[in-house]
Amino acid sequence: MDAGTLIAGILTLAILTFLYRDNPIYKMAEYLLIGVSIGYILVVAWTNTLMAILFEPLFSGRNFWLIIPFALGLLMWGRFHDKTSSLSRIPIAFMIGSGAGVAIPAMLYGRTLKQMSATVMPLTDASGVPDISGLVVIVGLISTLAYFYFGREHKGTFGKAATIGTFFLMIFFGTTFGYTVMSRMSTLIGRMEFLLTDFFKLTN
Amino acid sequence: MKTFEARHWTFLGLLVVVAGAMILNIKLDMRVSPYTQRLYDCIDSLPDGSVLIVSFDHEASSLPEIRPIAQSVLRHTFKKGHKLIGVSLLAEGTLIGYRLMQETAREYGRVYGVDYVYLGFRPQYIAAILAMGESIGTTYPLDYLGRPYGQFELTRSVKNYDDVAAVLSIADGSLTTHWIEYGQARYGVRVLGAVTAAMVTTYDPYLSSGQMYAMMGGLRGAAEYEKLLAVSGGGARGMLAQSSAHLYIILLIALGNILYFASRKKGRGA
Repeated sequence: MDAGTLIAGILTLAILTFLYRDNPIYKMAEYLLIGVSIGYILVVAWTNTLMAILFEPLFSGRNFWLIIPFALGLLMWGRFHDKTSSLSRIPIAFMIGSGAGVAIPAMLYGRTLKQMSATVMPLTDASGVPDISGLVVIVGLISTLAYFYFGREHKGTFGKAATIGTFFLMIFFGTTFGYTVMSRMSTLIGRMEFLLTDFFKLTN
Repeated sequence: MKTFEARHWTFLGLLVVVAGAMILNIKLDMRVSPYTQRLYDCIDSLPDGSVLIVSFDHEASSLPEIRPIAQSVLRHTFKKGHKLIGVSLLAEGTLIGYRLMQETAREYGRVYGVDYVYLGFRPQYIAAILAMGESIGTTYPLDYLGRPYGQFELTRSVKNYDDVAAVLSIADGSLTTHWIEYGQARYGVRVLGAVTAAMVTTYDPYLSSGQMYAMMGGLRGAAEYEKLLAVSGGGARGMLAQSSAHLYIILLIALGNILYFASRKKGRGA
């Protein structure tokens, strides 16, 4: 057994001890995971971001336009001192402004307009056979929106529509929860497969 | 001294069920869902040698689920002779993506630089997706191993999304949404998803609206894909354990409800 498998096996078992109760072995493995993750992300950020995108093109490639983002980045460090903290507002304003400028049209198009147009579907399929899925989508959309409309009391016909909306919501939550359980089980199965096959060598 | 409580027995039961199912190692036959079939057909129908961008948009914690998902799709692409450009929009997925591509490429005898190239991580995923739409070589002047983008036979002919047949996002979170909102909406690149089960309902509306072309999800998706490919992998191996664990949870829910109603009835009677 190689050292990597041995360490991974011991750490997996250490994490699983939490199922009994919180303990120092679990905490050691947890802190190690956090430390290694942060260390790894720092190294990747340094080599793939600061060195590759900023320092090497700026100092070796003499791409002096990069002084602007470099200076904006340096201004962010102003937050650590009361006297200079206002300087950090400049790069933050730039980030929020440019971020919103890019994100708002994209989200409006992708999440609202395209999704709205997708709710309008023909009631027959390509071969002319009636297809009620479009109708279900419309009923689901209107009744769910009715549930989230709080400007009017949920009574009468409007209240009934809101109640129908709750059924659609419950179906969505149930499906999402089911898939999430499936996902967590897959994680457990993956680790069990590693323990049984590579660590304990009980299966092939 | 702390003794075993109900939750401990529950966990122990789950552990026994999963381990038992894995030791038995019985392969379950399953029906391939239209989701997985569509993704398979999409990759299968691309002309041999098509260039795909594979984006490893996940963290290390989801590796047990991501590995069989990624392996099954990567096997198909390499088997078909497609050319792959690997990227990662999350720092944690960088090395995992590189290793997965390397392992799978080796199975099919594919060569680095000719059949696949791994470019690694770029921060600010929205900026990276938009920048690749203009020029991949400018966004990634160097590959993961620090060699120039234009050095490889594969990348010399790929300028931006115009030269790419599709983007395959292997994700455990919402990063595929950004490929849809920026890559697909702005540059018209076809977006495919291979995602964890927890993310299936998030991407379903994008699939229905046509913004995402095809998607497969979770360990079951991987098992279905392996069936279509006629290969044995982590997806199929885990399906008996997955089904047994689900059955165990359903039995616990039923038992919990029976006990609850029985205690309520007893309470009324007293």
